[in-house]
Amino acid sequence: MSFPDWARVKRPMFMIGLLCFAGGCSQEPTFRLNNVYLYVQEAKFGEQGSYNAYKNELQSILVSLFGTPDEPKVPPLPDVDTAALLDLDELQVAAGPVRLDEQKRARGLYREHCAHCHGVSGDGAGPTASFLNPYPRDFRKGVFKFKSTPKGEKPTHADLHRTLMEGIPGTAMPSFRLLDQPDRDALINYVMYLSIRGEVERKLMEELGELDAGEKLIRTESPEDFAEDVAYIKEIAAGIVSRWIDAPSRVTEITRGPTQWDITTSRYESEEARLAAIEHGRRLFYGEIANCVKCHGESALGDGQTNDYDDWAKDFIPPNVTPAQVQELSDKYTALGALPPRNIRPRNLRRGVFRGGRRPIDIYWRVRNGIDGSPMPAALMKPDGAPPEAKGLTEEDLWALVTYVRNLEFEAVSRPPEHLVENERLRP
Amino acid sequence: MAEAKRAPAPRRVSEVRRRRKIVGRLWSLLFLSVPILGVAVFVLAAGDIWPLQKHWLPVNINEHGRVIDNLFMFILYLTGAIFVGTGLVLPWFLWRYDAAANRDPIKYSHGSHTLEVVWSILPAATLLFIAIYQMNAWADAKMRRPMEPGPDAVLGTEDDVKQPPLARVTGRQFEWRIQYAGPDRKLGTRDDLYGVDDLFTVNELHVPVDEEVVIQIESEDVLHSFFLPNMRIKQDVVPGMKQFVWFKANRQGVFDIVCAELCGWGHYKMRGRLVVESRQDFDEWMAQEFKKQEAVLYSTSVGE
Repeated sequence: MSFPDWARVKRPMFMIGLLCFAGGCSQEPTFRLNNVYLYVQEAKFGEQGSYNAYKNELQSILVSLFGTPDEPKVPPLPDVDTAALLDLDELQVAAGPVRLDEQKRARGLYREHCAHCHGVSGDGAGPTASFLNPYPRDFRKGVFKFKSTPKGEKPTHADLHRTLMEGIPGTAMPSFRLLDQPDRDALINYVMYLSIRGEVERKLMEELGELDAGEKLIRTESPEDFAEDVAYIKEIAAGIVSRWIDAPSRVTEITRGPTQWDITTSRYESEEARLAAIEHGRRLFYGEIANCVKCHGESALGDGQTNDYDDWAKDFIPPNVTPAQVQELSDKYTALGALPPRNIRPRNLRRGVFRGGRRPIDIYWRVRNGIDGSPMPAALMKPDGAPPEAKGLTEEDLWALVTYVRNLEFEAVSRPPEHLVENERLRP
Repeated sequence: MAEAKRAPAPRRVSEVRRRRKIVGRLWSLLFLSVPILGVAVFVLAAGDIWPLQKHWLPVNINEHGRVIDNLFMFILYLTGAIFVGTGLVLPWFLWRYDAAANRDPIKYSHGSHTLEVVWSILPAATLLFIAIYQMNAWADAKMRRPMEPGPDAVLGTEDDVKQPPLARVTGRQFEWRIQYAGPDRKLGTRDDLYGVDDLFTVNELHVPVDEEVVIQIESEDVLHSFFLPNMRIKQDVVPGMKQFVWFKANRQGVFDIVCAELCGWGHYKMRGRLVVESRQDFDEWMAQEFKKQEAVLYSTSVGE
C-alpha cells in the first residue's frame, strides 16, 4: 500500500485547516437591533416608507454612544453624571468574552452567567429563552418588576441586587449568592447599561415617526444641523439616565408597619391582632376598592382573568384584538425575533411562592406600587386627611392585605397532598 | 549493458524473528505500564504529591462518614491488590510465553478442577463478605434515621420518635432552595402566635456542629442529586418523593453542596454552601435572618 499522492491530499487538508482557523476566530458579537420595535413603529407611523433604511444609521448611532458588547462605552451626556451610575471598569468586568484577567479573576461575567437566557443584547432572547416560562426579562424596555420604587420608576441598585441574591422563585432565574459582591455589582451595572442602551434605542425608533421621507436622524448637510441632532439624541439618553440616577430618591420608604406589630420579634403582638388583620384583609381582597379578586380570582388561585398580556407582548399586541389577529401579529413578530407571546397569569397566591420576595415589605411594595410591565395596578391610596368615606386604601389596609396574602398558603385548602414517604421505614 | 535490476535479498528467518521479538517485548512493557501508572495515580493522589494534589477524598467531617470511608478503603485495597496482581501477571505471560522468544514446546492442559473450584469460591466468598459487611453501613446511612425521646422523654424506649428535619432543601434548576422549620420544628406551618415561622434561604445551608442533623430533600422540577462530599452523603432527589439524609458534623467551617445528577444545561453551576457552626452561632444566624425576612420597615438610609 502506498500513501496517496500529496497533490491529491493538499486541497482537502488546506480546506480543513481553513475551517479550523475560521472556527477559532468567530465573528465579534454585536448588539442585535430591536427589529420587533422598529417594525412596530413602522406599522404605526411608516407613511414615509420602509424602516429598513434606518437600520444602519440606528446601529451606528448606538455604537457611537454605547460601544459594542466587547467594548462598552459610557457616553458623556449633558446635565447628568453618567459615569456615576455606570462605572466603565465594572462594565468591562461584565462585558466581553468569558476570560481570566492577569490576576486570574473571572471576566466576561454577563456572557458566562446571564447571556444564555437574557441574550448578548439583553433582549431576553438568548438560546435557552424559548424553553422557559415565564420568558427571561428583556432589559431593553427599561421596565423591571420587582423593586421598591413606584410604578413607572426605575429600580435601585439594591433592588436588582436583591433579585440576584434571592433569584426569582417560580421562574428560571436562579440565585447568584455564591458570586462575590464585586462581581454581582458589575453584573448589575451591566444590566443597567443594557437597559439604558435598549431604551435609548426604542426612543430613537419612536423618533423615526417624526421624520420626513428620506430624512435622517442625524442630518449631515450642515454642521449646525449635525450638532443640533446629536445634542437632541444625547438629551433623550440623558433623560433616561437621569431617571436611573433618581431611582434611589423615589423609593417607597416604609416608616411604620401594621399596628400591634412587635418590631423586636417581627411578629404580631397577639393572635387576636393577627386574625383581625387577616379578616380585614379578606374583606379588602374581595372588596371593590382593592378588588384583588378581579384578577387573582375568587379562589386566589390566579384564575380571575387569564387572557391579558404583559407589556413586553403588548408592544406588538394592541388591546382588544381577536385571537386570529393575535396569531397573525405573533407570526409576523416571531419571524422578526420576538418570542411567541403568552398570556400573563395573575399569581396563584396559595402556593406560597412569591416571585418578588416573600418578606412583608416585598409584598407591601407589590400591593402599594403595583408591578411594572404587568396588569397589576398600584393601590389607590386615600390622601392624607381625607374623610373616612373617601375612596382609597390606608396604610393599615395595605398591611392587612399583606397579612392576608401571606396567610393564604397556610389555609387548609392550600396545602398540597402529602408526598409518599420513601426511604423511611417503621421501627422494627 | 544496463545493470540488471537487482531483486531485494530475501530476509533471513532470524532477522524476522528478531523484529517480532522486539515488538512482543514492547507490548509486554506497555501492558506493564498499566499497573505501574494505575498505582502511581493513587499514590500521588493519596500522598498529595504533584501533579495530583487535592485529588484524594475531601476531608470527612461527618461522624457517620467514617464507616463509609472504611468501607471505601477496604474495597479499594481489595480491588487494588487484585488489579496489581492481574496487572503484573499479564505482562509477565506476554514476556515469558511470547512465541517469538519462547522455544519451549507447547503443553496442552485440560484444566484443573481444583483451580476452577478455588477461583469460583474465592470471589463468591469475597463478594458475600462485602455484601454482608456493608449492610449495616447502608442501613445506618439510609434507613435508621436518628431518633429522639418521645412523650416519655427517655431515649431508647418504645415511645421514641424520628427526629424531625432541621430544614427542607428543594432542588430546582439550578439552585438549592432551603426552608428551615423554625421553632416549632415543623415545615410549612406557623406557630400559633406568629405568622410565618419558617426561614427561607437559597444556596446557603447552615447547620449546627456536633449534633444530629436531619435534612429533608425534595425536587421542584427534575432529577437532582444532593451531594455533600465532606459528609459522604449523596442522595438522589426525585420529583414527587420526600427523602431524608442525616449527619453529625464534627468540624466547623464552610463546605460544598453540589448537584451530582446531570439536571440540565446549568447543572455545573448548581452549587451551594454548607456552613457548619456552633449551636450558638447557628441560633444567632437564624434569629438574625428571620428578623430580616420578617422586617416591615424599610428606608434607603438603613437599606440593604
